[in-house]
Amino acid sequence: MSHDYLILTLFLAIALVFPVVPLVMAWLWARFFSPAKPGHDKQAIYECGLESKGPARIQFRAQYYLYALVFLVFDVETVFLLPFAAMGFVQISPASFLAILVFLFLLLEGLVWAWAKGILEWK
Amino acid sequence: MNPAFQLFKYLTPESFLAETAFFVLIAGLVRATASRRTMLLSLTLLGGLASIAWIWIHPESINICHGMAVIDPLTRFVKIVIVALSLVACVYAASSNVREHLAEYLALILFSTIGMMLLVSAEDLLMIFIGLEMTSIPLYLLTGYLKRSAASAEAALKYFLFGSVAAAFLLFGLSLIYGVTGSTSLQALAQMPRSTASDPLFLTGVALALAGFGFKVAAAPFHLWAPDVYEGAPTPSAALIASGSKVAGFLILAKFLTLGFAKAGGSAIWSLLQPGWLPLLAVIAAASVIVGNLAALSQSNVKRILAYSAIAQSGYMLLGLLATGNKGLSAVLFYVIVYALTTLGAFGVVGIVEARRGGAQLHHFDGLHRSAPGLALCMGVFMISLAGIPPLAGFFGKFYLFAGALGSVSSLDGSLGLLWVLLIAVAFNAVSLYYYLIVLKHVFVVPAPDAATAVPQPRSAAGFCVGLLAVAILGLGLYPPLLLNPIYSAIHGAARAAAKAASVQP
Repeated sequence: MSHDYLILTLFLAIALVFPVVPLVMAWLWARFFSPAKPGHDKQAIYECGLESKGPARIQFRAQYYLYALVFLVFDVETVFLLPFAAMGFVQISPASFLAILVFLFLLLEGLVWAWAKGILEWK
Repeated sequence: MNPAFQLFKYLTPESFLAETAFFVLIAGLVRATASRRTMLLSLTLLGGLASIAWIWIHPESINICHGMAVIDPLTRFVKIVIVALSLVACVYAASSNVREHLAEYLALILFSTIGMMLLVSAEDLLMIFIGLEMTSIPLYLLTGYLKRSAASAEAALKYFLFGSVAAAFLLFGLSLIYGVTGSTSLQALAQMPRSTASDPLFLTGVALALAGFGFKVAAAPFHLWAPDVYEGAPTPSAALIASGSKVAGFLILAKFLTLGFAKAGGSAIWSLLQPGWLPLLAVIAAASVIVGNLAALSQSNVKRILAYSAIAQSGYMLLGLLATGNKGLSAVLFYVIVYALTTLGAFGVVGIVEARRGGAQLHHFDGLHRSAPGLALCMGVFMISLAGIPPLAGFFGKFYLFAGALGSVSSLDGSLGLLWVLLIAVAFNAVSLYYYLIVLKHVFVVPAPDAATAVPQPRSAAGFCVGLLAVAILGLGLYPPLLLNPIYSAIHGAARAAAKAASVQP
């Protein structure tokens, strides 16, 4: 009979105690010590200490996401090119060179496509 | 040879399609002119036909990296069928309401086709999952392609959410199977000991994987996405989801179950039920047939009718899988290909009517036979074939399916075999006649409201494809060996290739 998982159960119990105890204490404090005095300022939305302005439900432009996707072209390129370049000091076979060129070509085509489609222009 | 180069050599048809897709993307950037649609379409068709031709003239069989990609007569045959179906969807797209970004649309169809081709040649759990995802992700995009239509966006979101959950189920199931057996290759799984096959954890894995596949082939109770997707998606996307993706889904399901898990089948025979995937499949098949046929009765949109009919037809095809062995597989393949051709044709008619009258409700089809007799006749052929009335191909497909399922267990001692699920299927097939005939009633009997919105006889490539498909359905109904013989020889060729590979390996 092993108790490999006993430590996990203990951990779970302690992990539950940490959030629950402050919550209970806060509730008790509010129940017995602090008087309820709701007011306009007290119930205002807290936004970094400033007065909140406008509704919170705004729409983001789809263009943000398109930019993020185009950024991914360069991001992925870096991730794959770096180990390739590092390996280059040791040796690069013609086949692997060709393979990485094809890969670069595909990413480049994505960029050209996005550019020609006018995604890079902020409207 | 270097395995990477070997992979490149044998996946040339897929590479053709990928290169075509990239060419089409770039070609779509040229200034919009009147002939651009034709140019994009012919480029796509050229690439697709080159891919088919390559598969045709390279008959060698090979198993790369223990089932990562298996090229044999069966996968070659199904790949040709899938590319052909996708090309018809491309033709539809060129004359559909997808007006902006047509090049990207065609490229996405090609990307999805590549996924299907990889899927059918996979005999490894990981490759199956990757193939399924490569098929599905472009399909999600194709569903939501009409970005100004709320219905299209809703359909895409539903399809995507259902698809993600189904993929999670499938992955969880596959991980359990791998955890119990320690292998991801279907051929290695086929050799597991019998004690593993009755392990509850293993059976749970198979059941979870079945849920994932059930989503792909739109079988009840995993069908809820289908009606909304068929209705909201652009018609060519719906046609592709109903045809190519279904052919690939059923072939891989058949391979997955009969190749890898033949020992874990159990028994679906009423008096001797045993745990395994057979009883599960029988229940899913019966549920699909019942739900699909009953729900279709109350629909007023032809695309939704086709969706529920697709669910019911999935049930019939699952029946064919119950008849394990080559006979069942050939019946399922025949039926799924005939079904794909029929539904592709029906969606073609729907697309043409939709483009002219702005909708696919039943009343949009009123009086079609007056203004476009050829189109109406084609719709008649498709609907009657779906209902399974001779002499059209749908009848023979259903006949082979039911006969195969009945014959697979009749040698057993006097038990009724799979009769319980067959009876349900046959009874509900009679129900299905009602809604197929309702569509035909609107096409042939109800007079058109006014002449202003008459659908003229189409003179487009889409109309040509629809006519061709109708002729094919009629031809396969009059002479089924036209399709049956290639299927038989493909299945036997695949079995021979596998036996040869097995004798060489050790």
